[in-house]
Amino acid sequence: MDNLRLPYWALCTALALAVTFVVRDPYLASIVNLISIAALVAVSLRFVMLIGELNFATAAFMGLGAYAAGAATTILHWPFALALVFGGVVAAAISIVFGYITLRTRGPYFLLIGFAFTEAVRILYSKSMALGGTSGMVGIFPPVGFDAWMPSLIMAVAAVLIFALYVLERSDFGKILTAIRDNENVARTVGLNILLCKVACFAIASFAAGIAGGLHAFANNVISPGDFSFLVAAFALAYVKVGGEDNIVGPLVGTILLVTLGSFALGLGGQEHIFYGAAIILAVLLLPDGITGLARRGYQRLAARKGH
Amino acid sequence: MQAAEQVLLRTKGLTRRFGGLVAVSDLDLEIRPREILGLIGPNGAGKSTTFNLISGFYKPSAGTLFVFGENCTGKSPLAISRMGLVRTFQHGSLMSSMSVRDNILLGTIHGVSGAARRRERTEETAAMLGLTPHLDNMAGTLPHGLQRLVSIGIAFAARPRLLCLDEPLTGLNQTEVADTLTVLERIRDEFACSILLVEHNMKAVMKVCDRIVVLHHGQHLASGTPAEIRNDRKVVEAYLGHRHDS
Ligand SMILES: Nc1ncnc2c1ncn2[C@@H]1O[C@H](COP(=O)(O)OP(=O)(O)OP(=O)(O)O)[C@@H](O)[C@H]1O
Ligand SMILES: [Mg+2]
Repeated sequence: MDNLRLPYWALCTALALAVTFVVRDPYLASIVNLISIAALVAVSLRFVMLIGELNFATAAFMGLGAYAAGAATTILHWPFALALVFGGVVAAAISIVFGYITLRTRGPYFLLIGFAFTEAVRILYSKSMALGGTSGMVGIFPPVGFDAWMPSLIMAVAAVLIFALYVLERSDFGKILTAIRDNENVARTVGLNILLCKVACFAIASFAAGIAGGLHAFANNVISPGDFSFLVAAFALAYVKVGGEDNIVGPLVGTILLVTLGSFALGLGGQEHIFYGAAIILAVLLLPDGITGLARRGYQRLAARKGH
Repeated sequence: MQAAEQVLLRTKGLTRRFGGLVAVSDLDLEIRPREILGLIGPNGAGKSTTFNLISGFYKPSAGTLFVFGENCTGKSPLAISRMGLVRTFQHGSLMSSMSVRDNILLGTIHGVSGAARRRERTEETAAMLGLTPHLDNMAGTLPHGLQRLVSIGIAFAARPRLLCLDEPLTGLNQTEVADTLTVLERIRDEFACSILLVEHNMKAVMKVCDRIVVLHHGQHLASGTPAEIRNDRKVVEAYLGHRHDS
């Protein structure tokens, strides 16, 4: 916990916020929103990767957060901030139950359960008339006059949560999570409650995903079940793998790069999915540690050469 | 009554079957305060299975387990470790992608609060084991022998009342073995912690143990002081062709 690299975080957050102030074109603003939200989802996915699990339920918890925030706004008429937090809390609460049951399984089993859960929850929305059925929920507006500030607000909320996850990763709790991935039996022999730590990790990540869902709802004013398919988790995994999973910067770099490229491809009338597919294949084949891993190795080589 | 409280660990008729195989059979074991108890026997004798039974990783097929006077038969590894019984594993008993410092620190988290005190305990433990120069290395990159010491470090950082070590000397050279034995004696004498030691290095076992129990085909074969065990005819027979004096 000694070195949290606060200056870097402050600088990057300031830069990111500056971008949201400068961008006034609605299309570009929507891409910036997309990046903020996708980055938060990718960091949430990576947080569960600390315990060695691929959490495909990320998409479900993002959806639960979006629908909870949406329902709180359109049905209960709660204030904006409260609705947003409610989305995160609902996602976290459900994830505690889900995690307590499913985190006893591992690897492909856990991944499959997450996948099934995501699709099951999605069907639930489409069947529920109160939640808008297949056509979705409309009219999820932030307070009047907030529109112009939404990109900045979304960026700020995402930045705060990403930083919070970073602080947690660097804490002793974060070390327990890595230990669980490495060798959970050893962690168990020194009195650490492994299941509790796994569930806590899962709930924290799901809270972040739920908030990301709420931000998505308020950014688009409309949500539909199709927004929260397992593809959300698959894309998040692409951002993490392409950027590099060793470090929290990886998913951020991966998200910025792939979302930008994907939007560019859409502008050309292409299918962004092809880009993601190609990026994953290239990253896996050529960059086993992602872009940030490549950058680190390059930097080390440079430093070594300077040393001579 | 006094005597019962004095026993740290007691098993009665402890048995574990795997299908038709009886890995541990009707075992009575007793560990007393401030002693190093050796648990030896040829490969497949049931030593590691005994470890898994007393630490809660396996449920016994029959028999009872008392830890620090409490009936722990069927209790979870978490419950037993929190009572102060900490064990290492024969294979891969550390977190290889983490630094030695973080490995040992992990042992302190449950029992020690506050970053400063955890760090202090971590560094004290590393110093005892001679790991100070390696604190910032990744555990998985260390030579095999040092990795064994890290495993002991993680376990001892929890300051257990009973420390169970499964072949902690494998891969250590002669000086490292001698140093480690000194550490085990310090753990016993200065920290009033008993040690259950599974080890194939007979010279080391004979040197450091206060008492020895010999297992053979999952059964209790003999027990006594090192001198008694050395001269036990049954033991010598069981070990014929199984000598591991390296
Ligand atoms: N999980 C298991 N499933 C099936 N059989 C097992 C299991 N664990 C151990 N055994 C068997 O139980 C017997 C005792 O094994 P154990 O590992 O306890 O021996 P050991 O005394 O530790 O031997 P070594 O000195 O080789 O480590 C062996 O025959 C082993 O194959
Ligand atoms: Mg063994």
